[in-house]
Amino acid sequence: MFTDRQPRSFLEPQVLARLSAVPLLARRPMVGSVSGRHASPHRGSSVEFAEYRKYVPGDDLRRLDWRAFGRSDRHYVKEYEADTNLRLCLVLDTSGSMNFGSGEVTKIDVARRISGALSYLASQQGDAVGISCVADGIVRTLPPRRSPAHLRLVFDVLDEVKPAGPTRLPEVLHEFAETIRQRAVVVIVSDLFSDPAALASAFSHLRFRRHDVAAFHLLDPQEIAFDFQRPTRFLDMEGGAAIFADPIDIAERYHRAVEAYLADMKRIVLESAVDYHRVTTAEPYEQAVARFLVGRAAGRGLR
Amino acid sequence: MTFLQPWVLAALPLVALPLIIHLINQRRFQTIPWAAMMFLLSARALSRGYSRLRHWLIMALRMLAVAAVILAVGRPLSRGWLALAGGGRPDSAIVLLDRSPSMQARDPDGRESKLDTGRRQLVESLETLGPGRVMLTTDAVRGPVEVPGAAAVTELATAGPVAAAADIPALLQSAYEYIRENGAGTTEIWICSDQRANDWRPDDGAWGGIRDAFAKLPQQVRIQLVSFPAPAAGNFAVRVGGVRLETVGRDRQLVVTVSVSRLDEGPRVTLPLTFEIGAATTVVNLEVSGREAVLRNHVIPLERAAGPRGFGTVSIPADSDPADNEFFFAYDEPAPRRSLVVADDPAVRRVLELVAGIAPEKEASATVDVLAAGGLATAAWDDAAVLLWQAALPEGPDADAVRAFVERGGQVVFFPPDAPTPAAFAGVSWGQWTGHAPAVAPESWRTDQDLLANTLASGALPLGELEVRRSCGIAGDAVPLASLPGAVPLVARSSEIEGVTFCATTPAARDSSLADEGIVLYALVQRAIDRGRTVLGSARQLDAGPAAVAVAASGPAWTRLAGPVGGASTEAGLHAGVFQTGDRLIAVNRPAAEDGAVAIGDDRTDALFRGLAFSRITGRAGDSDSIVQEIWRAFLIAMLLALVGEGLLSLPRKPAQNAGVAGFRPAGAAA
Repeated sequence: MFTDRQPRSFLEPQVLARLSAVPLLARRPMVGSVSGRHASPHRGSSVEFAEYRKYVPGDDLRRLDWRAFGRSDRHYVKEYEADTNLRLCLVLDTSGSMNFGSGEVTKIDVARRISGALSYLASQQGDAVGISCVADGIVRTLPPRRSPAHLRLVFDVLDEVKPAGPTRLPEVLHEFAETIRQRAVVVIVSDLFSDPAALASAFSHLRFRRHDVAAFHLLDPQEIAFDFQRPTRFLDMEGGAAIFADPIDIAERYHRAVEAYLADMKRIVLESAVDYHRVTTAEPYEQAVARFLVGRAAGRGLR
Repeated sequence: MTFLQPWVLAALPLVALPLIIHLINQRRFQTIPWAAMMFLLSARALSRGYSRLRHWLIMALRMLAVAAVILAVGRPLSRGWLALAGGGRPDSAIVLLDRSPSMQARDPDGRESKLDTGRRQLVESLETLGPGRVMLTTDAVRGPVEVPGAAAVTELATAGPVAAAADIPALLQSAYEYIRENGAGTTEIWICSDQRANDWRPDDGAWGGIRDAFAKLPQQVRIQLVSFPAPAAGNFAVRVGGVRLETVGRDRQLVVTVSVSRLDEGPRVTLPLTFEIGAATTVVNLEVSGREAVLRNHVIPLERAAGPRGFGTVSIPADSDPADNEFFFAYDEPAPRRSLVVADDPAVRRVLELVAGIAPEKEASATVDVLAAGGLATAAWDDAAVLLWQAALPEGPDADAVRAFVERGGQVVFFPPDAPTPAAFAGVSWGQWTGHAPAVAPESWRTDQDLLANTLASGALPLGELEVRRSCGIAGDAVPLASLPGAVPLVARSSEIEGVTFCATTPAARDSSLADEGIVLYALVQRAIDRGRTVLGSARQLDAGPAAVAVAASGPAWTRLAGPVGGASTEAGLHAGVFQTGDRLIAVNRPAAEDGAVAIGDDRTDALFRGLAFSRITGRAGDSDSIVQEIWRAFLIAMLLALVGEGLLSLPRKPAQNAGVAGFRPAGAAA
């Protein structure tokens, strides 16, 4: 696996070993280039029966179901599901806000670990993995590939990424929706500090392109609690103007704004069928990834 | 607002403490990098209006709480809403009490008089203020007298009600003299009065001097008026206008004229007048409509066994002012109508002899002794009632004899001589003769009292029909009773000695028509004779006041025969009643001006104290509230309310914060 034996801070072998027990599945049929373990929109040669279809000239006679002909005196062709691989496109938010962390880890640390684990799991089951680091635009991108060498490149990107700059996530997602040619599992790892309405539009766009969209929403506990006791000068980590405020005065309205934002997000992801997982930096990322995997495994069979 | 400990107010700048703490807290800010700016911006946008208002409200309430604590510690005093004057605890307080009969008017329930209410409120106020010394002033002659404590204002007999009118200007003057002579420090003068015009004498020229004198005092002097100006509702006052003893055959009878008056024209009522003479009591109903009703010449037969001398009372049922429900009178055989005439001009002498020698009663005899100016030493002064003098004003031994006669109670009417001399008597001297062509008539005269007053039937004397052809100037300190055009005095009485009257013209035909229109001269002379006889007689009516006090002080001790008991023995002459002194009877009653006295307006009162530290608190008889009370409890309550308000405004923050955290489910998937 680690051909260069280079240790990666964001990869924990024990966690990965536990997570490997659950396959990474797509919620929608994928259009892959090779055979795999994911459902394909096309009929194929797997052992899983799909349907009967009337014979038309040109069909392979080997697929005629003679027993059906014997019962009905009509020619039917027996079709089977096709299995293929998927394309996992990781969208990693590398804007300045991802560098925030009130505890030992920052949001970008958690994002690295989630992204690294998913990359590894997908690669292990022969799926193509690509990664795009986004902030004000697409900072760095690797298209999905199936080779283990490509996985190393993905890990290198995760290692080297530095959070900086403002966020233009909705615009970047729109761009992805237009540029990813085939159906893919698009996993967004971000704090989603953008206008919910713009995000909803981007999610719908991806959905329209038949991508399986998942989102890991990273939040820091301090961003929720906002329990500062002293007047504070807040420096915008994405380069905006600083704000001076007495948290005691504005805490109530801050909490209201957070609640409204989270309620909007909940509505948006329901409307756009986004596989949404809210993750705080204080909880083990393994739980969030496991929830993600198990949720998908439970929904297997949808085509 | 007044504070008992005003030095505590120096801590008032501490009110800014919450603001300073807030500013210091603002300076202690921390700087942190922050990711969720979108929520912060949203919260800031929402907080601009209400939050800022709440912030300042909390700040204001905190400052209010601090201010309330400081003010409460300063022990604030409430002096009524109309009298919020500055100042702290005075070094001394001088109480001027108006103890006149009108101050005995009671509240509608009849529980407490104005005087009692005022004294009680004064005691409560003084005990609260705690001045270094308390001085009580009830008598202008004695001036302020130090009392052992504020409670003495209600306990001392000398602070009780009297029948005499108060002289507020004189009381103030005595207070000023005390402050000036004793060098008192910060002084508060508390006047308790009902602002009656006869007590305040707003037209008295002394007011200007009093104002100037107080204004020039180096000490801080505050004057507080506790006023009860409301008139006594439904009050009637009874007064005896005259008592005459008549002999009919072997029987004697009293002829009494009684008047009942009230301040306003109320409904027609019938009042029972109760006459008590010795053990005999008679009741006569008198119908009162309008402001006054008079029972004229009511005859009361006397027992044959009774002597010619006696006393009695006339009373009406109790009403809102008990001080004017009873009137005392004494009677005796009238003194002889004996007059002395001194006149240079024979024509004048003849006229004076005639008007003095004709008695108004047909059975009365009148004698007139004509004297020469130099023959006074041989005159029989003892039983003379009046001296009519038309000559140069007396000087030397003659002046001494006349002065002794006047001080004994005799009346003197001076007429100008042909050749006036610079000599003065009783502070008045003759000026120069002035001719009037054509003749002039008096333009104004006093119709309410003195020698030219209206008749009992309220008819005015025909002074307007007089023709004055020549008049002599009256120079000196005299009060005009009648004036010619141009305010030239025609008849005036001396301000220095009571009983001395000056007439600026003579009855001679060249000078005036006094002889031709004899009514005026006759009334003037006969009234003077009556006055003199009243004093000389063994039964005498006196108005309570300084004159009665002087009479009491000059003769044997007074023994009360009738009238309300109580009152200090040193205040004989101030209380109503019948007294015996030697072999004479003296009936003392309230002055006539007390019956119809109306309150001077607040504006006029304020004008009397213009330029001085003066405040007025208006109350009513029976008021139970204190005029000065400590109100630190109100400030503590205000502080508590401010703290509760501050707490309520600050309260909603924590629950909102908890709700925000509780609403977030970090481990749950939303979709």
